[in-house]
Order: sequence, then structure tokens, then C-alpha cells
Amino acid sequence: MSQHKNSLLLALLTLNTIYMVQADSLNPAPDMSSLFSTSLMSSFPEDLEISGYCKELLFFFKQRYVTFVDCLILAARPVKVCQNCSSSYSMLQDIYRNISDQVGPGNESCRDSLLSSDRLMVVYQLYSNLQDLWTSSNCESNLTNDTLNFLSTLNQTLTCFEKYQLGNHTELCKSCKKMYGDVNKLYGRMEKNDTMCIDLEDAMNMTRRLWSKNFNCSLPRDETVPVLAVSSFMLFLPVIFYLSSFLHSEQKKRKLIHRSLLDRYSIKAAGDGIFSVR
Amino acid sequence: MANITKKVSWSSRPDETGATGETTPLLNGSEQPRHSRQMSGEGAIFHIGRHGAGDLEEEMTTEEEFLRGRPKEIPHNEKLLSLKFESLDYDNIENQLFLDEERRMSYMGFRCLEISRWVICALIGFLTGLIACFIDIVVEQVAKVKYNVIKENIETFTEAGGLSISLILWAVLNCSFVIVGAILVAFFEPIAAGSGIPQIKCYLNGVKIPRVVRLKTLVVKVCGVICSVVGGLAVGKEGPMIHSGGVVAAGVSQGRSTSLKRDFKIFEYFRRDTEKRDFVSAGAAAGVSAAFGAPVGGVLFSLEEGASFWNQMLTWRIFFASMISTFTLNFVLSVYHKKPGELSNPGLINFGRFESDSLAYTFYEIPLFIAMGAELLLCLMSAVLFCRYVHRPCLQVMEATLVAAVTAAVSFTMIYFSNDCQPLAPDNTEVYQLQLFCADGEYNSMATAFFNTPEKSVTSLFHDQPGTYNPLTLGLFTLTYFFLACWTYGLAVSAGVFIPSLLIGAAWGRLCGILLASIFSSSSTWADPGKYALIGAAAQLGGIVRMTLSLTVILVEATGNVTYGLPIMLVLMTSKIVGDYFQEGLYDIHIKLQSVPFLHWEAPATSHWLTAREVMSSPVTCLNKIEKVGTIVDILSNTSTNHNGFPVVVQVMEGDVPAKLCGLILRSQLIVLLKHKVFVELARSRLTQRKLLLKDFRDAYPRFPPIQSIHVSQDERECMMDLTEFMNPTPYTVPQETSLPRVFKLFRALGLRHLVVVDDENRVVGLVSRKDLARYHLGKHGLEELHLAQT
Repeated sequence: MSQHKNSLLLALLTLNTIYMVQADSLNPAPDMSSLFSTSLMSSFPEDLEISGYCKELLFFFKQRYVTFVDCLILAARPVKVCQNCSSSYSMLQDIYRNISDQVGPGNESCRDSLLSSDRLMVVYQLYSNLQDLWTSSNCESNLTNDTLNFLSTLNQTLTCFEKYQLGNHTELCKSCKKMYGDVNKLYGRMEKNDTMCIDLEDAMNMTRRLWSKNFNCSLPRDETVPVLAVSSFMLFLPVIFYLSSFLHSEQKKRKLIHRSLLDRYSIKAAGDGIFSVR
Repeated sequence: MANITKKVSWSSRPDETGATGETTPLLNGSEQPRHSRQMSGEGAIFHIGRHGAGDLEEEMTTEEEFLRGRPKEIPHNEKLLSLKFESLDYDNIENQLFLDEERRMSYMGFRCLEISRWVICALIGFLTGLIACFIDIVVEQVAKVKYNVIKENIETFTEAGGLSISLILWAVLNCSFVIVGAILVAFFEPIAAGSGIPQIKCYLNGVKIPRVVRLKTLVVKVCGVICSVVGGLAVGKEGPMIHSGGVVAAGVSQGRSTSLKRDFKIFEYFRRDTEKRDFVSAGAAAGVSAAFGAPVGGVLFSLEEGASFWNQMLTWRIFFASMISTFTLNFVLSVYHKKPGELSNPGLINFGRFESDSLAYTFYEIPLFIAMGAELLLCLMSAVLFCRYVHRPCLQVMEATLVAAVTAAVSFTMIYFSNDCQPLAPDNTEVYQLQLFCADGEYNSMATAFFNTPEKSVTSLFHDQPGTYNPLTLGLFTLTYFFLACWTYGLAVSAGVFIPSLLIGAAWGRLCGILLASIFSSSSTWADPGKYALIGAAAQLGGIVRMTLSLTVILVEATGNVTYGLPIMLVLMTSKIVGDYFQEGLYDIHIKLQSVPFLHWEAPATSHWLTAREVMSSPVTCLNKIEKVGTIVDILSNTSTNHNGFPVVVQVMEGDVPAKLCGLILRSQLIVLLKHKVFVELARSRLTQRKLLLKDFRDAYPRFPPIQSIHVSQDERECMMDLTEFMNPTPYTVPQETSLPRVFKLFRALGLRHLVVVDDENRVVGLVSRKDLARYHLGKHGLEELHLAQT
């Protein structure tokens, strides 16, 4: 994988050989430098080159990175990221911490040379991507008694599902209902209290989907008549109210006050109908 | 607001009318029926025009009635002007006392006044912000409790059966909140009903609406809003904020509370209509800015809706008040949300951020947006206004309760029968979700819209992922909510119309967005229905309230994205044009139904041929410069005329010739003079008597005692009163030939209350007051004249 990346990188640098690289990237070449007529020089003067110690760290980083990514991809569906990959993540974290914080023999630090000596900052970017992924998975949330309890109940429920799966679904709904209800309640409580790790969330989601969609155990809408009756009764009340108040009341009359224009001035306009209102 | 319902609320109760004397009409002139010969041409045509041609017979009888001098009675309609409304005295009375005071005041004194104006504005902003916080927090907490109780109940009964019980529980909870709110409003302070924006609009226009800016109104308003929003009615808490801001301003600027009988002896200089009105406009702006997080929008609201008399310094102060208000709200809410200092809640309604790429719009979408603006839903809403028959307080409470129950019932039924199940988005933790018959892990999306406070529903319509709602749900929701909102509007509860209209608009806007996306499935431009929801909300709101500039700025500020300015503006323009073609804006209809003499921006277009002589009221009750106390008391006690301003004249010739004008004096001034017994004879006998100061007039403000409460003995009736010192020696006058638009402009720009019409020898011929101008308006068939009516 990393080799593949390398070749792409070089392809960008050496535009004149782009076709070759394309052809080449399908079957990785053993030795890059020999293929390119105008490639970068293989090495820089001593003081700019990274030290052996750092090279070593970089190598370890690569190894652990690959392990972790492997693990992640395999645990993607159904999500078991937290369960399977926690250890490899902590190993990756260790090595990164080594790179960024620790000093090696001769008091030398690889922090600048590996992490931030160029614009691309490959190591840093790769690590921070995975870090974000890990944070959003919430795997670090505490393992409490509730969690263990939840896991066991969930397993029981799933066993119950398996047991009745082949037969009639109504029977399944009836017999697994209590167990499922417990899981649901427990989950609801845990959800309210703190964040859940993605494994549990996903497991619960899948169980719920099984329950509601596959086995169709959702609650039936069977109270239509009483609900309709009550609400139509309430809708009927205002009709009575308005009818009665309409019948028992009348609009207030207003006394008009006429200002006689005649007293004040001779009819000038009214006669010609300037004032007329059609 | 309903015509009749509000009629009760806007008028003083009869017992109070006598006690406070606040409800004397602003019309000055002769309007007694004794001059009731009718002008043959005009009157007849007018009546036929209104009643339809078939009513000729009735026409005859009414004509006869007039000859016998009885006033005609007609059912209340929108083409009336009520006599009960007074004008504010915006014009400064430059009498001798005023000049004396000005002379006595040092330069520092004026500086201090200016500074205290700023202090008051800061206080207004601060208090308005606090009130907004209070409403917001209480609504959120109580709604949380209510929805959680119902939710738990529904969850239990979904499994066990008996969902109709949950329905009843929901209805009962709703009703109990609404009953409290409606009782508060109907029995304690009817003027607190509705959003209060029309009332504030009238106040800023220069009409004194009784009791609109009292402390009691504020308290009832705030509690009422909380009750009606928590009660699940289709209402919002934004509109009432504007009224609350106005009340706060009126209270703070006076430095005392007449209701609580506390006088803090501060800000005494501001106890005048002029200053109070300026502060109320600042308060309204602060209210808008607290409601929407839109300080500039608030200022523009005051400018557009209210103040006809305006200056730059005032604008700057108002802006200051609204900034303070939004900042206060923001800060207090950030503390409440336990993130002190993170100022992310500028308003009561938070539209959320419209910043992601998918929410950007392209130029070819603009015509689409404009098309969305052309919508006609308003017409139905205003139709409902006209058919409210309920005006007894207990019936109003019942009506409100029924509406609450029906709202609950309809919502529940919609949720119950909805088949639209959607998985829950991860960030939607604060909305109340109902699962009901959905698969586990999914939630009823009808409930997301109905089972929530309306503000939350608006935000989720704007921001939820595409695909959260299916078109059928949205369509049904729009329709139901629209009818509910129409029905709710005009109940005797304090509630605003902003949020329901935003919600309806957002729902159908989102619906449009979804349909577009399904038509042009290939392009990603149509991907996010959120922006269509926003445009729809803008169109709906614009169609209902018909504000232009201020609404655009408010919406742009609420979304926090200036690039939406253009589409929002275009949409508001189209919706206003289309709406105006069918019906006036809601607030204007409301004002008309109240028969308020409201002066619009300009005089009716075809009214230049009308002159002051035709418009004015005459004959005018005048006072002599040195007048007998008995005469004054008699004039003031005459209930049939109830004038407010009296031209002061000097008689130059004996006989019936009208005398020359030398000043104008107000009823309130005369009452204060009578109270302090400023009689010529007394002044002579008691040399030590204290001279009356402007302060004495201010102390009596704003509730001048009625004339009945002032005792004048028989001896005193024979005394004389010298008005020279107290009258306004230079009232505005116009010649008889001045055209109506000219008079109108004077009134509008100077905030006049009385305008004396004089002949070429400066003799009083008539008096123009606000009502004489507001009578003329441009109807569907040219210039129309409104009738004056007693209440």
C-alpha cells in the first residue's frame, strides 16, 4: 500500500514520465530510481537527512499503522472496532508519542524531521485522521457494570431470537418481548447518562432493526377508535360554544356622530359627486 | 385580534373612565347632533354605498331619525373612528413657565438631562433584556416539565394501551395553563391581549391608548405569554416582547409608578408626552432586538412602524438601548446555559447559523424565491378576524380553553396517524421525541413538529437534515397549523403572531424545497431544503405583518448571514405587493377594527382639493384670556363635548364677531390651574402665594384628575383666571384654504394635537384635530370618509 502511494507521489513530481508511471503503478516496480531518467536524487547531504533512529521509528510507525488499519477494516461491519482494535490503537498511539514527545539517544528528537518538515506532513495527517475516527467511535467511554450487564442481556436476547427465528414470528415477539424490553430499557438509561461506544450502539441498532423490521414486532396501532372519539368530542365542543354564543349575543351597536358639513360651508363638492362612493 | 374582543380591551371600563379622565375624546369641535341636517347628496350616496342598493327604505327612516336629532346606530365595522381615543401632546408648550424654567436651568443642567436620557436608555435595554430572559427561561423550564410528563405517559400507554388517556392528559395540561393566562388577560388587563404591536404602533403614531403602558399591563402580559406558550397554543413570545419593552420604557423614564404609588423623585423632567413617547420608541426597539437578536432591526422597526417624529440623536439613543437589550439577553442566557461569556443567544428565537456550503444559494434560484413570496395564505387569516362574537370575559376564557383543548386534540391525532418515522439525528438531544408506533430507534417526525414549543419546531425545520420530514407530513402540518394559528389569533391571551407565521412559512417552504429536490434530483444545489424553509418563513411573515425594511433586517440579523439579504428582501417585496392586492396587513386591519384615528405615512393621494375649511371642526369653544372660573368649569364639565384644547382669544369688538386668536390651552393645564386655584382675586389678596411652576403640571401627569373631582365653590366661580402665563402663546395655525395634505404633513411631522384654522384677520374659524384628518382615507373606490362613532 505504501509503495503504491510512493509511486503516485513521484508521478506528480516527474510529469514527463507520467505515462510510464501509470503503466507502472499496476505492477509495482522494484526499484524506482532506475526507471526515471530525471528523478530526485536519492540522498541529501548528511545534516538534512533523517537519522537512523528516526528511520527506525518511522518503520515501526508504518508497521503499527498498517496493523491498525487492517483491524479497522475487518471490524467495519458489523461494527466491532472497539472490541477488536483497542490494543492496536494504543500501540499506534505509543509509537506516535515516541515520535512527537520522546527524545532518543544523543538527545535527538524526531518530531521536527518526521512530523513537520514539509507541507504535506504525511505522518501527522495519517495519524490525526485515524485519531478523529477513533474519537468519533467513542471507544474510550468507560466500561461500567451497566455495560457488562447490557452485553449479557443483549446476548440472551439474540439467542432467544435465534431460537424462535425459524418458526412463527408472533411467537418470537411474545417470548422474547421481556428480554428485549430489558435490553431496550437498559440501553435507554445508559444512553441518557453518558456516551456509548460505537460497538454497543451498532449492536443495539441491529437488534432493534431485527425486532421492528424483520420480525415486525412493533406495537400495533389498535386504539384508533377511542382516540378518534375523544378528539372528535373535543373538536365538537367549540362548535357548540360558538353556536350558543352566536345565538345569545349581538354585535354592539355604535352611535354615529354626524358632522353636518352644511353648517360650515356651502355645498361645493357634494353636488358634483366628487365625494361619491360607488 | 378580534374586533369585539379588542373593543372591550381598548376602551377604559366605564367606572375608570370617570375616575381617571383619560378617555376624553381628542376631537374638538361641534359634533352634537343638533346640527344634524344632512347634506343631501353625500349622505344618501354614502349610505347606499355601504348598505347596498336594496336598503332604500331603511335609508329613509334613518334620514328621518336624523331630522329628529337622534344618533344613528350601526353595527361595529372597520369603517369607523372612535371618539374615545386621545392624542398625545407631542408639541412643546412654550408658555411663560417653560421659558422661566429654561432660563433658570444652567448649562450643566442640560448636560445632566442629556446624560440621564442615555442612562434611561441603558436601563430600558437592560430591563427589557432581563424580561426576555425571564420569559425564555420560565417557558423552557415549564415546557420541559410538561412535555416530559406527557411523553412518559404516552410511552407507558403506547405499550399498555389507553392512549386516549394521554390525549386527555395533554389537553388538560394545555387547558389549565391557558385558563390561567386567559383569566389574567380577560379579567385583569384586557389590553394585554394579543401581541400588543398594534397598540404600540398607535401609541408611537401619537394616539394615547388608555392603559397601554402601565405596570399592570406588563405583569399580565409577561405571565400571559408564559401561560399561552406553555399551554401549547399556536403562538409565540416574540411579539409581546415589543409591547413589554414599550411598557418598561414608559415606566423607567418616568421614575415612578402610579400603580404602585411610588415616586422615586428622579427623571422628573421627562414627565411629558414628548419625552415619554421617545422613550417608548426606544423600548419597542429594545423589545424587537431582544426577541430576534436584531438590534438594527429593532431601530428600523421603531422607525418604520412607530415614530413619525424622529431625529438623529434619538435614533442613536434607540440603537444604544437595543444593543444593550440584546447583549443583556445574550449574557444572561449564556450564564443560564452554563457557558458564561459565550454570547451565542442574541435573541429569544434563534434561527441557528446558516453558514454551511449547502445553504448557499445561486443566482438562478432568486426567481424561485420570488415566486415563493407570492403567497396568499393571509387572506383567510384576516377573514377570521371579522367573525368573533365573543366579548364577555368569562366566555373569552372559555374560548381560549377550548382552543387549547382542540390544539392538543388535533396535534395528538396528527401524531397518532402519522406513518412518517425517521431515525433520530445525533445532535437532536433537546427536542422531545415521541416514538409511538415507529420502529425502535426511530421517531415520529410529525411529533418533532407538533410536540414542541413552536420556536424549537422552527429551528428544526430550518436545520434538520434533508429527509427528516416527508412531504405529506409537512403538508398536513402546514395546513393544520395554519388553521390553528388563525383561530388562535384574536383570543384573549397575550401572544404573538411572529412565530406561528414563521412556522407555517418554514413548513411549506421546506415542502417546496423537498419537491424541488425531487424534480431536479441530479443537481446538488437543491439538496438542502433548509434555505427554502427560511425563504418560506420570510414570505409568510412578510405577508402577514407587511413590514418591509425592518423585517428584512430583522430576518437577516436573525439568520446571521448577510448574503441572504437579497433573497429575503425580494421575497418580502413580492409578498407585500401580492398581499396588498388582496388585503391590508394584519396590524392595519387590527387598528382599523379598533377605530383608532391612525395617521399613515402620507395623506390620501387624491385629497388636495379638500381644504382646511372643509376638514376642520367648528364652531370652536374658545376661552378669553381672562376668563371666569365658572365658565371654565362649565365648559370642562360638559360631557357632550369633552374637548381637550381650547383656543384662547381676545375680544376686539363687541358682539358676535369671532375674536382674535392669542394662544391655546389644554384641558389638562386648566385642570391643574383649577386644582391649585390660580385665580386673579386670590393672587391679589394673598401676596405670598407660591407661583405655579412647570413641576406642578408634571406631577399631575399622566393621570390628570377629572373635572368632577375638583371642587369649586360658588364664590370661586365668580373669580377670574388669567391664562396668559400658562397658554401656549404661539400655537400653529393655518389659513382656511390650506389643503388637506399640507395640514396632514404638519400633523405628521410636528406631532400636533390641535391645529387652529384662522381667517385673514387671525380670528378662529375652526380647529383641526387628528380625527378630522384620519377620517379621510383612500378606499377601493377613491377617497372615502369614515364615520365618527361614540363607543
